[in-house]
Amino acid sequence: MSELAVLQAVRLKGRVSRDDLAATLGGDFVDVVDRLVGSGLLLDGPTLRLSPEGRGRLEGLLADERSQVDTAAVLAAYDEFRSVNTEFKALVTDWQLKDGQPNTHEDIGYDAVVLARLDDVHRRVTPTIAAVAAQLARLNRYSVKLQAALDNIHAGETMWLARPLIDSYHTVWFELHEELILAAGRTRETDDA
Amino acid sequence: MSTRPVILLDGDASSPPEVLGHKGHGIDVMRRNGLPVPPAFCITAEVGARYRAEPEATINAIWDDVLAGMRTLEAATSRTFGRGQHPLLVSVRSGAAVSMPGMMDTLLDLGFDDDVEKALAADGSGEFAHDSRRRFTESYQRIVTGPAPDDPYRQLRAAIESVFVSWDSPRAVAYRAHHGLDDSGGTAVVVQAMVFGNFNANSGAGVVFSRNPMTGANEEFGEWLPGGQGDDVVSGTVDVEPIATLRSRQPDVYDQLISAASLLERLSADVQEVEFTIQDGALWLLQKRAAKRSAQAAVRLALQLLDDGLIDEAETLRRVAPAHVEALLQPSLQPETRMAAQLLATGLPAGPGVASGRAYTEVDVAIEAADRGEDVILVRNHTSPDDIHGMLVARGIVTETGGATSHAAVVSRELGRAAVVGCGSGVAESLAGKVVTVDGNQGEVREGSLQLSAWSEDNTPELRELADIARRISPLRAHARGDYPRLDRHTEAEVRSAMASGHSDVVSASPLLAMLAAIRLSGVS
Repeated sequence: MSELAVLQAVRLKGRVSRDDLAATLGGDFVDVVDRLVGSGLLLDGPTLRLSPEGRGRLEGLLADERSQVDTAAVLAAYDEFRSVNTEFKALVTDWQLKDGQPNTHEDIGYDAVVLARLDDVHRRVTPTIAAVAAQLARLNRYSVKLQAALDNIHAGETMWLARPLIDSYHTVWFELHEELILAAGRTRETDDA
Repeated sequence: MSTRPVILLDGDASSPPEVLGHKGHGIDVMRRNGLPVPPAFCITAEVGARYRAEPEATINAIWDDVLAGMRTLEAATSRTFGRGQHPLLVSVRSGAAVSMPGMMDTLLDLGFDDDVEKALAADGSGEFAHDSRRRFTESYQRIVTGPAPDDPYRQLRAAIESVFVSWDSPRAVAYRAHHGLDDSGGTAVVVQAMVFGNFNANSGAGVVFSRNPMTGANEEFGEWLPGGQGDDVVSGTVDVEPIATLRSRQPDVYDQLISAASLLERLSADVQEVEFTIQDGALWLLQKRAAKRSAQAAVRLALQLLDDGLIDEAETLRRVAPAHVEALLQPSLQPETRMAAQLLATGLPAGPGVASGRAYTEVDVAIEAADRGEDVILVRNHTSPDDIHGMLVARGIVTETGGATSHAAVVSRELGRAAVVGCGSGVAESLAGKVVTVDGNQGEVREGSLQLSAWSEDNTPELRELADIARRISPLRAHARGDYPRLDRHTEAEVRSAMASGHSDVVSASPLLAMLAAIRLSGVS
């Protein structure tokens, strides 16, 4: 299980430092990482990456995981996610752009309206994650990470909404979306991006 | 205020856009001037406002008026809605007084059941009837959300209610809050008899501009899709043709279209954008509005309209916003440069900015190229979370799938990268290895490394001409040089204080911007 969690985290991050990996996994995985490096499944360096063998191993583990879930329940959760996903991406876009131009964030009222929409999105997505985590307990971690990003945003650190390379709300959401696509046996080519 | 809830748009509606909505008002203006417009009525914005407080009671109270409106459309078209040998289909459009994002998309081809489809097949062709019904079913599902009911009148009612509800969509609410627009109003609804660009080979739909809104050249500009409907043209997912091909295919229709656009331009004294449909060789106009334009075009078109005697000098200066001039003074991709380079792909503008480089389709290869010092454009079918490392080293980003709010678009904007998304499948393969320019403002990828350039108040003839006009109108004459007091900046505060000190002439680094500020302060009309 932890091997799957580590390989999947590295895959979603692409290239990731050991510190960032520990932060996103929220636990002590040093032994697992060392073992995966030792067996050639992870490539070591300033950042960790999957080797081709690691990618193959991950795909096998994910297929095993998928074979044990109630596909109908996962599909239902994925459908719910897609509807709230549309609103989430629209609000992030409104956060970034005002009248087609980069938002200068000088208009506090405008920003407040957008961020209020995030609270609504968070209320909607939380039960969806709980539903899918009843099938794939590993995905509970996404609720924790989204809540952490939301807490930072509420504290005024709005870079936690969409900044890449940190576990911002959008980064976590994007990875969750990828997980759900995989768990539902879909591909991004056939579904919306 | 209590006007009639439903107003026929027959050229005598004589109500302002606040009541009819801007679309309804435009239709009425076109009808008044004898242009071919399918019959239409509107449910007023006042009803839209009442609906928000009391949905059920409001829609019940006006329903007889809506039915009376439908009878008028039936009489005008010699067709019958939801029944008969010649069935009537309608479009349903939102129409607030001010155009805003988040309002319901136009729903076309409404009024189907199985018998209607059969009758339309006999009326036109089976293919036409089937295609229209497919369009209706799909767009109803997407726009009104949920499967379409079988009863055409229930379809109509649900579509109208969806328009009213869209006034309170999060995007529309946020837009009004941001622009300080009145939130207490509501939207009008326009119901119009359908005409069909998908009727046969002699049909199509498109949009035409009375002058080029990109470059500001005095030439017709537009695009159309033979055999298509209006939503195909705006969707950006289908390859449209330049309006010039209509001239060669249907010269009479083309001439009629251009003279209508030109008439509407003279009537409104502004460059117009007109949506049209051709059904079996007959031209129909559906909507018109003042054309959206580039900053370059805003300046050039204002000067042309002045030359043509359509506007006076004071109005010419009002048509050019200080923001237009500010934008022109920054380096940008000039429309002439852009139009001269071969267009390789179009998609949705997702990250503002323009960037050039060599196109790479694999993240690891892109990273290696960037490490060698190359300018990299990352082109992907779609983006996955781990593509972030390729996006980081890229100057511009292109995707085959995904919309303007896709994850790729969000990340591109966060990184400040020029991005064009949703360019269609096969684009990655066709761009790979080429040196391209990604125009994230226009949503285009063009061949080559295109140079950016800026206008200047000193050297660009159009800006000099505007400054000459401004010196005749402005209470404060600003000069590039001369023996006058110096204006350090062209802010309103500085300009106001110079005028308060009794100066009539000043020297400024941006004379035109200083005078535009002075004119706005003094409210010269």
